[in-house]
Amino acid sequence: MSGKRESAHFTGATRYVLDDELASIINISMALEMPLLLKGEPGTGKTMLAHAIAESLKMPLVVLNVKSSMKLVDALYQYDTLTRLNDSRFGDSSRNVSNIEDYIRMGKIGQAFTADRRTVLLIDEIDKADTDFQDDMLDVLDQMEFDIIEIDKTIKARTRPVIIITSNAKKDLSDPFLGRCNFHHIAFPEPKMMRNIIAVHFPNLDAELMENSVTAFYRLREMEGIEKKPATRELLNWVRALTADPDFKPKKLATGDIPYLGVLFKKSQDLQRTNELLRRRRLF
Amino acid sequence: MFIDFFYTLKNVGIPVSPTSFLTLHRALRTGLVNSLNDFYTASRSILVKSERYFDLYDQAFAHHFEGTELPDVSGVELDDIARVMLDQWLKEPRALAEALGIDESELNRLTPEELIEYFKERLKEQTGEHHGGSRWIGTGGTSPVGHSGYHPGGMRVGGVSRNKSAVKVALDRRYRDYSLSGPLTRPMVGEALKRLRNLVPVGPKDRVNIDETLYQTMKNGGEIEIVFERSLKDRLKVILAIDNGGYSMDPYISVVQTVFDYARSQFKDLKTYFFHNTIYSTLWGDSARFRKPKPIAEFAAADSQTRLFIVGDASMAPYELMVADGSIHIEERSGTPSIECLKFLADTFSHAVWLNPMPEDMWNYTQTVKTIGRIFPMFELSIDGLEKAVHFLMAK
Repeated sequence: MSGKRESAHFTGATRYVLDDELASIINISMALEMPLLLKGEPGTGKTMLAHAIAESLKMPLVVLNVKSSMKLVDALYQYDTLTRLNDSRFGDSSRNVSNIEDYIRMGKIGQAFTADRRTVLLIDEIDKADTDFQDDMLDVLDQMEFDIIEIDKTIKARTRPVIIITSNAKKDLSDPFLGRCNFHHIAFPEPKMMRNIIAVHFPNLDAELMENSVTAFYRLREMEGIEKKPATRELLNWVRALTADPDFKPKKLATGDIPYLGVLFKKSQDLQRTNELLRRRRLF
Repeated sequence: MFIDFFYTLKNVGIPVSPTSFLTLHRALRTGLVNSLNDFYTASRSILVKSERYFDLYDQAFAHHFEGTELPDVSGVELDDIARVMLDQWLKEPRALAEALGIDESELNRLTPEELIEYFKERLKEQTGEHHGGSRWIGTGGTSPVGHSGYHPGGMRVGGVSRNKSAVKVALDRRYRDYSLSGPLTRPMVGEALKRLRNLVPVGPKDRVNIDETLYQTMKNGGEIEIVFERSLKDRLKVILAIDNGGYSMDPYISVVQTVFDYARSQFKDLKTYFFHNTIYSTLWGDSARFRKPKPIAEFAAADSQTRLFIVGDASMAPYELMVADGSIHIEERSGTPSIECLKFLADTFSHAVWLNPMPEDMWNYTQTVKTIGRIFPMFELSIDGLEKAVHFLMAK
């Protein structure tokens, strides 16, 4: 444990409201040099957290957005065979065709490993890829090294990146994978926390608007039969929309007159259902 | 250190591994864990790898450090029972008044909170000598009672824990809604069904296979040969048959249906049919089981690779299953006993499962469940059960 690392403590960032529990989990994960797996409903700020950590620790952030068709090797490095083939046929580049290393490009994990400084590596939505991806990644994260088969070279991480992994899935990841991570589940913020979050984003917000919009938001979330519930992101956009409208009066919200529902509900059925319920005054 | 705690966790059923226990000790050595609060968060994030066990963890933690009772069924279930009782009260105030032994008019004066309190008192008095103290709830037919942790208001979980001690936090049991026994939610089922993929190449050859292109090009001595292939698409057909008669099935129908609709984009074809209790010669395309009959004989011509999901509690009077013309509906008189119809379906579709919303340990008490279970592989309509069902369907 170097002194430098111990001094790197995460306490929060300008645009991210952190609770103490999560802060201590992040600090422990960093001290143990273990990846931190974050789960939670969409819109609870899993991805934002990595951005916040990078900002507060002043480390560069490397984001690996996992895609369903992704193979692990894509995240590590790419051997750009097409360029090499092209160069070998037309030979008009400065690269040395006989040196394969010229055609190796680092993927996101590779970039984090070879960076000069300690980085924050965000592996976003790992559940999108199939289980092979997770299993293959185990060794890489465990050993902090990987081989480039084409040139028979091992890339070792110069500094262990701070690894944040997020997952939306309600299903668990594979056991061996979990065994190598620390785990935290971010619950959906309570109204009190939500007010803090809004206050961070809109420092000059009218108190009445804040109160009424948060109340309306949690009521809308409680409606039954909604497929995609609005989350923090939607609420923030909604508040932005409300403040941008010069004709809007916060009092309206309390009476059940809720404008810009389209900002909160992204599925047409949900929107329809909400409108219907609001018309019937079932909610307010 | 904390070896007892580790075994407490293990004993309550949280999958904890010795490696993670060692990691916890490494964490303790870093100097970051200075209080019970820190220990609570640190050991949870290191030892417990799923939010579904957070609730159990909270209970075990409170037990170990504060000496509270470990999970005790009657205590846990009380809230749920109370809730069901409230529903019952709204529907049939008289029956409830009788069951509680108070006057109906008196009952009507009670607020819901008072009613629950009163009921809890009664229940506490009664435990021991009066084992069936809450039996009337069962006979009332409100079966969601077994479905513990059902929260109509949706998820209700605390977020911040600034001014509370860890034990207090643990006692709060904020993660109750996430525990394994919780209700089946759409995302969960969607997740399980996503595994039902049967990708085969279809469509025009319009995708470049780069690896193959390179290989062929090299083989050609550098003369570029581009290899195209067809893209992958799911060709799986699914038939879903739901028992929507009788209100024992009510809580599940909408979940099951929306979830399959949600997963529809993955299947080539999804058809939903309805039946009541068991299948006779006809399934119905409309939920009222009236307008759109579909004789099951027509399924003989269907693709035998179709996956058939039957969702139902499989509980009925044995004659409904065994006797020709056993249907409780007068218009369903086919002359074939339902069990033959089920066997026909099982023969037609080699990939068929029966999903039962009843908990698995209850199955043995109902004869028809056992009988149907011999015809169709039966799985519990829960996350684990669905997972197993999907695994079973894809295995062949």
